[in-house]
Amino acid sequence: MIIVLVILIALFLFGIFFYNGLIGKKNQVTNAFSAIDVMLKKRFDLIPNLVEVVKQYTTYEQETLTKIVALRTKATAGNISEAEKATLDAQLSSSVNGLMVNVENYPDLKANTNFINLQTTWTESEEQIAAARRTYNSAVTSYNNSIMMFPGSIFAGMLNFHPIAVLATAEEERKNISAKDLFNN
Amino acid sequence: MQDFLAGNVALQNTLATMEVERRKVAAEQKRGIIYIGIGIGVCIVGLLLGLLFWAVLAGLIPVIYGIIVLVKIREATKAYERAYKQNVIGEALKFIDPNLTINPLDGISSDEFSYAQLFNKQIDRYKTEDLVSGKIDKTSFYFAEVHAEYKTERETKDGTKTSWIDIFRGIVFVADFNKHLSGVTIVKPKDLVNTVGSWFSKNIFSFSDQHVIQLENPAFDRTFVTYGTHQIESRYVLTPAMMERILYLNANALQSISLSFIESKMYIAFPLDRNYFEAPIFESLLNPVSLNTDINTIRFLCDIVKELDLNTRIWGKE
Repeated sequence: MIIVLVILIALFLFGIFFYNGLIGKKNQVTNAFSAIDVMLKKRFDLIPNLVEVVKQYTTYEQETLTKIVALRTKATAGNISEAEKATLDAQLSSSVNGLMVNVENYPDLKANTNFINLQTTWTESEEQIAAARRTYNSAVTSYNNSIMMFPGSIFAGMLNFHPIAVLATAEEERKNISAKDLFNN
Repeated sequence: MQDFLAGNVALQNTLATMEVERRKVAAEQKRGIIYIGIGIGVCIVGLLLGLLFWAVLAGLIPVIYGIIVLVKIREATKAYERAYKQNVIGEALKFIDPNLTINPLDGISSDEFSYAQLFNKQIDRYKTEDLVSGKIDKTSFYFAEVHAEYKTERETKDGTKTSWIDIFRGIVFVADFNKHLSGVTIVKPKDLVNTVGSWFSKNIFSFSDQHVIQLENPAFDRTFVTYGTHQIESRYVLTPAMMERILYLNANALQSISLSFIESKMYIAFPLDRNYFEAPIFESLLNPVSLNTDINTIRFLCDIVKELDLNTRIWGKE
């Protein structure tokens, strides 16, 4: 009788620890995801200033600038899904990075302090977003491991916990950089 | 002859002048040691012959004389050692980089060493010397020899027995980091204690505000345990490229290194088992083997700035 009771108490305690652990890990995933969102917003906020500065010095980049502004407006609209936001961000990144390469043609713009500041902030935000994405993926992997490994896998199904997909690199970012494509833009 | 000496006439002249001083010091030290040796020898022979009083008396005279010789040469030895650091090491540093300077009496304070959080033990005895500082391009850095110890006390029948155990002995390297940081990231070698500690804080409970950072580079995760106050910031510091560079640096160091990134600085601890930048007494300065090792060590440390790409300032920090 006592043995059964001990086993039941042990099972009950294991259940509590396991459940709380999973909730903690799931919260970490949510937290990491919102961190990406905050950083994306920070990056989107850079766009208007960047466009303003570039506009003053360049005459031939209007099309790229219009495209960047349009993408930003879409990305900050509020009624889009997270997946769409990620795709828009990838497109926005590639457009801005293309613009940064073209800046080589405008020595005055390249030397402008505002532009240099914006450029470094942009690079910084890229690395911060990359770090936030890696944090998210690490949190997701830790959560997924807990619910997919034995004995967690038995309880996870009962408690309605499901695996979450990790963030993959956007198709545009995964492409190998081709110098030819960059300079033919 | 070593490459740094080949074209450096000033250093060659300094070494030639100091060699005279070294020979003087070495000859006197040798003389003192020989007299002490003779005294001890006479004592032993006398004792074997059963002449206790005469053995001690005859042995004591050369021993005392030997000690006097060693005491008399002590000041000259110290002056020679100081001059060596200032003139020889100082000159050799200029050859590596004109901005490098050495201050033999200065070091990294115990406060700064503790602040770097590279080791957890409470320090009971701390020694530091030979501060080398410089600036390569935009990155200023400094490093010094550090010996930190803690003590353990044991009660025995003869009273309390104190023994000193090393926390760290080697060189601590500090450089201005190229990114703004608000938290703390610590990278420690994956030994048994750190592995068990990290498993405990990851799976059971973390006693501090630092969490284990699980990084996606398997080689890095096999070699080091990483702790940080902010998950994202630690990854902002330890980018995939940075992790590869740290692994390369670790592979080229004699023993496993520890690193920390706090506020605007990075700290690296290189454990070493010999005392660096010391003047050789019984080894010629004209073919300086230990100087060559020292120069290679300094070069290795200065190259960290390039190896870790600290001069790339594109993240908003000048």
